Amino acid sequence: MTPIVQIDHLTRRYRGQLALDDVSCELQADTVTGLLGRNGAGKSTLMRILTGQEFPSSGSVLVDGENPLENDAVLRRMVFVKESQVYPDIKVKRVLEAASWFYPNWDADLAAQLMDDFALPPNRAVKKLSRGMHSAVGIVLGLSARAEITLFDEPYLGLDAVARQIFYDRLLADYAEHPRTILLSTHLIDEVADLLEHVLVIDRGRIVVDAAARKVWHRTGIGSLASATVAGPLDDLARARARDLGLEVAPVSLQELVIRSARFGTGIGTEQQPERISA
Amino acid sequence: MTALVKVARLHLVDRFSYTWLVWGVLAFTFVINLAIFAVVPLSQPSGNFTGALVTIYIFMIVIGVQAATRFLPFALTLGVSRRTYYLGTVLLVVTLCALYAAILTALWALEGATNGWGLQMHFFRVPWILDGPWYQVLATNGVLLGLVFLFGLWSGLIHRRFGLIGTVAFAALWVVVGVGLVLLVTWRQWWPAVGSYLSELNVLAASGMLALVAAALAGGGYLTIRRITV
Repeated sequence: MTPIVQIDHLTRRYRGQLALDDVSCELQADTVTGLLGRNGAGKSTLMRILTGQEFPSSGSVLVDGENPLENDAVLRRMVFVKESQVYPDIKVKRVLEAASWFYPNWDADLAAQLMDDFALPPNRAVKKLSRGMHSAVGIVLGLSARAEITLFDEPYLGLDAVARQIFYDRLLADYAEHPRTILLSTHLIDEVADLLEHVLVIDRGRIVVDAAARKVWHRTGIGSLASATVAGPLDDLARARARDLGLEVAPVSLQELVIRSARFGTGIGTEQQPERISA
Repeated sequence: MTALVKVARLHLVDRFSYTWLVWGVLAFTFVINLAIFAVVPLSQPSGNFTGALVTIYIFMIVIGVQAATRFLPFALTLGVSRRTYYLGTVLLVVTLCALYAAILTALWALEGATNGWGLQMHFFRVPWILDGPWYQVLATNGVLLGLVFLFGLWSGLIHRRFGLIGTVAFAALWVVVGVGLVLLVTWRQWWPAVGSYLSELNVLAASGMLALVAAALAGGGYLTIRRITV
């Protein structure tokens, strides 16, 4: 595993507000990483700094060893589709045509197939699209570009559950055939849980979870009368005592973990495995 | 270089703005003027003058603003740096203005050859400004088109970076500069000197000076885009 993105003590301050607070983490090459967190947690700011669209207040970001800011050699290897992407006032097919010029690995067949999947009308002007279709354009663009580093910032706005599932399926299928580094920010955590290999949870500008996805997520059944989430694995003695007391110990789901860590602001490291105790 | 060409091409994907918006509206204005002057008698013995050519300049400003507001966020999504985007856009401006100026100059020549489309109409032939040998008209047309496009581009970038308040301040700055110059000239009683300077000014030299202003606008736009966020 080699890190393709290295973020070191990154801080971004807006007037009186810390959007990113001393963030340090890495993205591994050819991995699907989820950037999870609540609205306003700093997901977009982090992604915008990664792609050189926003300026850090302090700290550094290195993409393949280079600062991405105004660096064409690095930037042209990335595609970044935002939640409310602004397009020129042109037809859908022109948007994709223009995008294809910028990506040497652009797959026109994939674009055509995705257009079909999302029932996108190629001849309609982008500004006349519905909210969901507008999002679909970004998804088609982001996937077909086959950029080495692909960033999606909550790309599903207005998409129904079926269309979102199509997105997840296509993303996974294309990623399997053409491995690349994908960073997907979302707050629909349960939906993407199966997709992610690595998870970054951000809360109020701080990374609170940075771990392999299989370590932090495990689906549990329906909750019982009372439950508590503890950060870190329990030792054998604690487990035995819990069993004696009739308590059930289970790892928490990814969504639960995010909710817990966001609410209490507790940091959970890679080596720790949070678990839920219920009775 | 290829990256710059790609950015220039990106703008041209908006076929509507660069064909119909500019030339369609100009053609429409032209036909309306032609119809009017075919009916009304000559107002002056020297011919009928219209200021309608100004429409193409207005639309060049509009396209300039669009380049900053709608195309910039799209280009940044596609992994283009601000610098490359700006240089590519300026490359497009220079190319387009040369092309459009050539068309305007050809129409200017045609208007002269047909005695104002048989109606002594001055549509493309604007006294003093677009007058004289063809190369002078070509240069003036090109510089003026570039000037207004770059002004629109810079204004759009100011709006992107500093919002509404910044745009208002930007407009106010131009007013202050203009009023300041007028006050300065009045205070130093330079009006006679200014008048004689302008009356003796060579159009080609004036175009050269405007080209310098255009270059200054381009520089201002570059400084604005450097730290812009979308």
